Amino acid sequence: MSNGGERREKVGAALVVGGGIGGMQAALDLADAGIKVYLVESKPAIGGVMSQLDKTFPTNDCAMCTMAPRLVAIGRHKDIEVLTLTEVERIEGEPGNFTVTLRRRARFVDENVCTGCGSCVANCPVRFIPQPLDSIPPVKLAPEVQARVDQIIAEHRNRPGPLMPILQSINAVYNYFPEDVLRYVSQQLGIPLTHILRVATFYNAFSIVPRGKYIINVCMGTTCYVRGSERLMERFSDTLKIKPEETTPDMLFTLKAVRCIGCCGLAPAVMIGDTVYGKLTVKEIPGIIKKFQGANGHGQAHTG
Amino acid sequence: MAARRIELMLCTGTGCVAGGAFRIKKVLEEEIARHGLQSEISIVPTGCNGFCGQGPLLVVMPEKIFYGWLKTEDIPFLVQEHFLKGRPVKKLMFTPPERKEPIPLLSDIPFFKKQMLIVLRNKGIIDPEKIDDYIARDGYAALEKVLTSMTPEEVIEEIIKSGLRGRGGAGFPTGIKWKVCRNEPKTPKYVICNCDEGDPGAYMDRSVLESDPHSVIEGQTIAAYAIGASHGYIYVRTEYPLAIKRMQKAIEQAREYGLLGENILGTGFSFDLEIREGSGAFVCGEETSLIHSIEGKSPEPRQRPPFPAQVGIWGCPTVINNVETLATVPVIINRGAEWFSKIGTETSKGTKIFSLVGKINNTGLIEVPMGITLREIIYEIGGGIPGNRKFKAVQTGGPSGGCIPASLIDLPIDYESLTQAGSMMGSGGMIVMDEDTCMVDVAKFFIQFTNDESCGKCTTCRDGSAALLEVLTRITDGEGQEGDIEFLEELAWAIKDASMCGLGTTLPNPVLTTIRYFREEYEAHIREKRCPAKVCKNLIAYWIDPQLCQACLICKRECPAEAIYGEKHIVHVIDQSKCTKCGTCLEVCPPRFGAVKKLSGEPVPPVERGMKVERKKKTATPLQEQSSA
Amino acid sequence: MAKLTLDELRRRREQARKSIYLRDGEFRGKVIVHMGTCGIAAGARAIVATFLEELEKSGRTDILVTTSGCAGLCSKEPMATVEMLDSPPVKYVLLTPEKVRRIFAEHILGGVAVAEYALGIGSERAG
Repeated sequence: MSNGGERREKVGAALVVGGGIGGMQAALDLADAGIKVYLVESKPAIGGVMSQLDKTFPTNDCAMCTMAPRLVAIGRHKDIEVLTLTEVERIEGEPGNFTVTLRRRARFVDENVCTGCGSCVANCPVRFIPQPLDSIPPVKLAPEVQARVDQIIAEHRNRPGPLMPILQSINAVYNYFPEDVLRYVSQQLGIPLTHILRVATFYNAFSIVPRGKYIINVCMGTTCYVRGSERLMERFSDTLKIKPEETTPDMLFTLKAVRCIGCCGLAPAVMIGDTVYGKLTVKEIPGIIKKFQGANGHGQAHTG
Repeated sequence: MAARRIELMLCTGTGCVAGGAFRIKKVLEEEIARHGLQSEISIVPTGCNGFCGQGPLLVVMPEKIFYGWLKTEDIPFLVQEHFLKGRPVKKLMFTPPERKEPIPLLSDIPFFKKQMLIVLRNKGIIDPEKIDDYIARDGYAALEKVLTSMTPEEVIEEIIKSGLRGRGGAGFPTGIKWKVCRNEPKTPKYVICNCDEGDPGAYMDRSVLESDPHSVIEGQTIAAYAIGASHGYIYVRTEYPLAIKRMQKAIEQAREYGLLGENILGTGFSFDLEIREGSGAFVCGEETSLIHSIEGKSPEPRQRPPFPAQVGIWGCPTVINNVETLATVPVIINRGAEWFSKIGTETSKGTKIFSLVGKINNTGLIEVPMGITLREIIYEIGGGIPGNRKFKAVQTGGPSGGCIPASLIDLPIDYESLTQAGSMMGSGGMIVMDEDTCMVDVAKFFIQFTNDESCGKCTTCRDGSAALLEVLTRITDGEGQEGDIEFLEELAWAIKDASMCGLGTTLPNPVLTTIRYFREEYEAHIREKRCPAKVCKNLIAYWIDPQLCQACLICKRECPAEAIYGEKHIVHVIDQSKCTKCGTCLEVCPPRFGAVKKLSGEPVPPVERGMKVERKKKTATPLQEQSSA
Repeated sequence: MAKLTLDELRRRREQARKSIYLRDGEFRGKVIVHMGTCGIAAGARAIVATFLEELEKSGRTDILVTTSGCAGLCSKEPMATVEMLDSPPVKYVLLTPEKVRRIFAEHILGGVAVAEYALGIGSERAG
């Protein structure tokens, strides 16, 4: 399909296989260098995976904004020929002199006449077939877990906006979200798992990794901060040998920085479970930890 | 109910509960029973009294005697002396640091004297879990008036005339918001009460819900009548379990009395309320984000307009008001717009609650008329700075606000003046800072906060805050470069211009105001590698003054890094290479020695190891002075 | 309980006001019972109880019953001072529940001091 030639001269043609963002860019670069390009894509349209993305890693840039100008440029470029619904069947020859055999499937639409009005799409009786929910096997939970989760779902499912109350109740039971519970909720409510995860990872009070029995919330509000809560955090961290947001191996404590628990009058303050320790000094920390470790029961409130 | 002679108004706000208010209550009950006074004395658990720095506290009615810093062991004496024998106990009364004599009466304590209670009218006077207490203090009288004698338009007109502006921070006129919502043809309509009080250092909304939940219910019901809504939500932070509990109880009581639900008071108007909890996301205080959160969507804000008053929750017109705003409404209806508009300044009417916290003697919640000066708040109500330190700045408006320097202490506080000073009203946090606070560090703290809490939708906010943080961290680490300040300023303005919601457009304020008023501190960090307030760890060193060290071994024992050398009679020395700068030594060094010092921007003077402790004979050492005194 | 109508709400408010009158009521009169150790030994507790009883029976919400320390006249305990608005305080001595009932009816409600039980006119501070 292409002729061989001297490498220094810009002659002959190139074939790019795959019309994703990488293929598109390659095609554009080659074409801009003066080479005739055949861009082969097996799907009905070029664009690839990126056309389905909202944002891209790591810069969080808008996917469409990156891609759309390239789509236009390819469509307009006189040296690029786009071959959609086409697959590579055979490659023969050697570097510089290839023969490629392609197979093109029928589109059933005459591209030269189509105006893109969309009537055919609107009138086609077959729709919404991609991956129906019931094709995913139902999640199996342990009977007692399922009973508990079912109860939570039943309590909230009929009110508008049930997701948050359900997640909050589950969090209250488990202290975090076990993955299969979230999958189960997703199937029960018919809400995509990705959406649930997006909500579940947004809030500070939620976690998708297991947390300790006692969550040590060190208040990092402004008042506590100016009164030295950072040093409390360091001392907790040193004593428990974990960093903030981590959990001790015995699953007893999770250390967490929290944004203002509204006890500014008692700054610096730390909340463990429902107990607030106000006007805390670093000296008292080992004792507090010992109390929880030793008794493993609930601590007494503390007077400043 | 039997006649009683004494009522004990025991504060059971979150602060006092954390301080042990319920244990105090138990001992009080036991002691009162022991003296057989149950029929004469009753204990009323109230919401937050406001003077949180004195908690746990109680006020004795009818004399209005204030007792603070109560301990369970004081109670038997208190009950016997005061409640039985009628002799008020002086040692439990409030004594300001500069005075010797205690002030017995609540109304004479400067902290309370200058305040003007409108929103907090019932604080410490009613039991928040008893609807009858609220009703007795003209509760639901405004609702009654509205439902029987005013049209919705008249209600809106009255609120517009009063000049009430949103207390959540931005200060949008409440009446106008209601009017816009009322004029929307689409139904149903909703009223949401925003109690997602995320600003660190502000807790007035929590306090109102805890001390007077019915005032919010009444205000919200009036708002619903004015705009034509039949359903409402109260969105409360999950960090406020007590507020949620009290609100839930209040809603149930109001339903029972027919003040919520179908056909309220037989007037044909129906309205009901539901609590929704947040889950710890600062951005949810932004109204569109809050709506998304209730709807169960990912709580990112969206572009406005359309405003929620036009297109809000479930796509319907929605009024979102702050707790304080709604709690003000019944008073305006009862006492009239004219009365209300006489309080405050030209543009900002009424009162505002501030939480006065940080380096201040009298910590607590205060409600003051708009237009009061910072000086009055800090020195008269707040009682000045502890330890006679120098007042440096006050931070208002949370992470969206800025730092107002000591030079602007005579600034009258209202929406406009604060904005002009580069800060904002915000929800009313007022964090007082003294000379030991490093302003660069404070700016870094807030940017860390907003960087953490940015939802990530706008690049400027998400990445801009990260870039600000990077530069600020560099400066506080002593690696600042020339041009950093200018870069911060330029970036801050870019973030302000290009972010969508309130979080992004205001997050640079702490940086901009600290640069504006404390540029020399930034310069000291960058050029001299010195932290003037001696806060930034990389720029300070701890040092034990060999002249003052008495070799008491306390610091050596407490040092977690084992960086202190010394033994009996031998001057202690800190090994700078081991020191983690945790500050424990400074904290534990007995104040009468005061041997541990912080140094910044100067070399640590070398101290020979093994030096004997000097106890000068001629001039008495501080130790001897102290022990002989 | 049944849902309230407008009238019921108003009635309820009146009733509720009475229950919190100690906190913000206006007072026309004040009874101070002296409760030093000697007073208590002489039966001052019963005097307080009787005043409160009478107060409740009368339904008045503008009278305060309170206590104070020893009045320094231990032989005449139990004692109480009655202060009514616009008239000088009256100190009563050697009280019994019966005397209290009469004082309450005649002095507090009726406005005429019961001279035969009185020690004198004026509190210990005034005279």
